[in-house]
Amino acid sequence: MKHLIFDSGPLINFSMNNLLHILIKLKKEFKGDFLITKEVKQEIIDRPLTIKKYELSGIRLKELFDRGIIKHANLSKKQVDELRERREKIMQTANNLFKTNRGYIHLIDKGESAALALSQMTEYSPLVIDERTARMLCENPENLRKLMEKKLHTSITSNKNEYDLFKNFKVIRSTELIYIAHKRGMIEIKDPRAYNAMLYGLKFKGCSISEDEIREMSRL
Amino acid sequence: MRSALTKKDFVKIKILSNKIIHNASITQDPNVIYTAVIIYSLSKIIEREQYKEYKNWGSFYKEYSQCINHLITALEKDDEVEFQKHVDFITDRIDSLSGQLKIYIKDVFQKARVNKASRIYEHGISMEKTAKILGISVWELAEYAGQTGIGDVNLGVTMPLKQRLKLAEEVFEK
Repeated sequence: MKHLIFDSGPLINFSMNNLLHILIKLKKEFKGDFLITKEVKQEIIDRPLTIKKYELSGIRLKELFDRGIIKHANLSKKQVDELRERREKIMQTANNLFKTNRGYIHLIDKGESAALALSQMTEYSPLVIDERTARMLCENPENLRKLMEKKLHTSITSNKNEYDLFKNFKVIRSTELIYIAHKRGMIEIKDPRAYNAMLYGLKFKGCSISEDEIREMSRL
Repeated sequence: MRSALTKKDFVKIKILSNKIIHNASITQDPNVIYTAVIIYSLSKIIEREQYKEYKNWGSFYKEYSQCINHLITALEKDDEVEFQKHVDFITDRIDSLSGQLKIYIKDVFQKARVNKASRIYEHGISMEKTAKILGISVWELAEYAGQTGIGDVNLGVTMPLKQRLKLAEEVFEK
C-alpha cells in the first residue's frame, strides 16, 4: 500500500482555496492512503472548529476525514509508541542542530516532527509540506543555516553530522499536487487561467513557492 | 523606548518591536515575545488617530503606556514575578473595556500576534512552532505569511523545480 503523508499546511491551503474536490480526485488517482498524524488532525480540524473565521474550512476537512479521504495511519499500540519515539528523536535532533552564542535554536514542533516520523516509519513515504523550514531541513539544512544567519545577523554553527537524519525525506508541496491535477485533466474550470490562478492562490495562503517557480510551472 | 512612548512616535515604537522579535527568534522567550506584541499593538493604536475618540480612551492609553514601562523594567531586572503581574494587569484591563474600544484593542492584539509570528517564521522557525509560540493558529499564520515575500527568498529554493515535479509524478505513478 502506498502512502502520501500530509502536514497541516497543504490541507489548510486546499481548504482555504476551495480546492478539496481536487484532493478527492487526486486520492482516487493515487491508489493509496492520504495519511495525517493526530497532531495534524488537531490543527486542521479540531482547532478551526473553535475559530469562527475558519470553522467552515474545518468542517470541510472533517468531512474528508470522516469519508476516509484523509485518515490516520493504522498503527498498533507498539507502532504508536515507536512513532512517538521517532517523533521525539527527530524533534530533539532538529532543535539541537543550530547553535548561536545564546543557545540552540528550536526549529520545529511536534506536528512537523510527527509527520516526518510517520514518513520514516513507512519506508520514507513522500510528504506534502508547504511551510519552508521543515522542507529546507530535509533538502538543504545548510541553506537553512545560512538563511537564519543572514536574517538573525548572528553567527550560527551547526551539528553537520546530524544532517543525515533528514536526507532521505521526499517532499512535494500543494502546488505540485495542483500540477499533477492539471496534467491529468482534473481541473474542471474551463478558463485557461484557472491553473495559474490556483498556483498563486496556494502561494498566497502559505505555500512556500517563489514567483519564478510559479512562472516555470505555468509554462510546463 | 520611553522617549518614543512620550512622543507617541509610532514608527520608532514599531522598529523597536521588530528588534525585540529579532532577538526573540533565537531565545523564544514568551515574556519577550509578549512584550513585542504589546509594543507593536501600541504602535498600531497610536498610528490610528480616530480611536482616541472612543469612550475611556484617555485612561486606557495612560495605563497601557505605564504598563509597557513596567514590563520593560521587569525584563531589564529579569523579574519574572513583576513581569507577570503587569501582563495580568493589562490583560484584565483589556477584558474590562467595553463597546467598540474593547473590540478594537482585541483585534489589534490578535493582528499584532500574527504579524510578529510572520517575522519569526521569516527568520527560519517552522510555521507550527511559531504559531505555538505566539498562541495563534497555523491557519492565521499561513494566510498572513503567504502574502509576504517569504517564499521568494533564493535560499529557500532547495531543489530544481523540474526535479520536484518529477518526484510528484513518480508519487502518482500507477
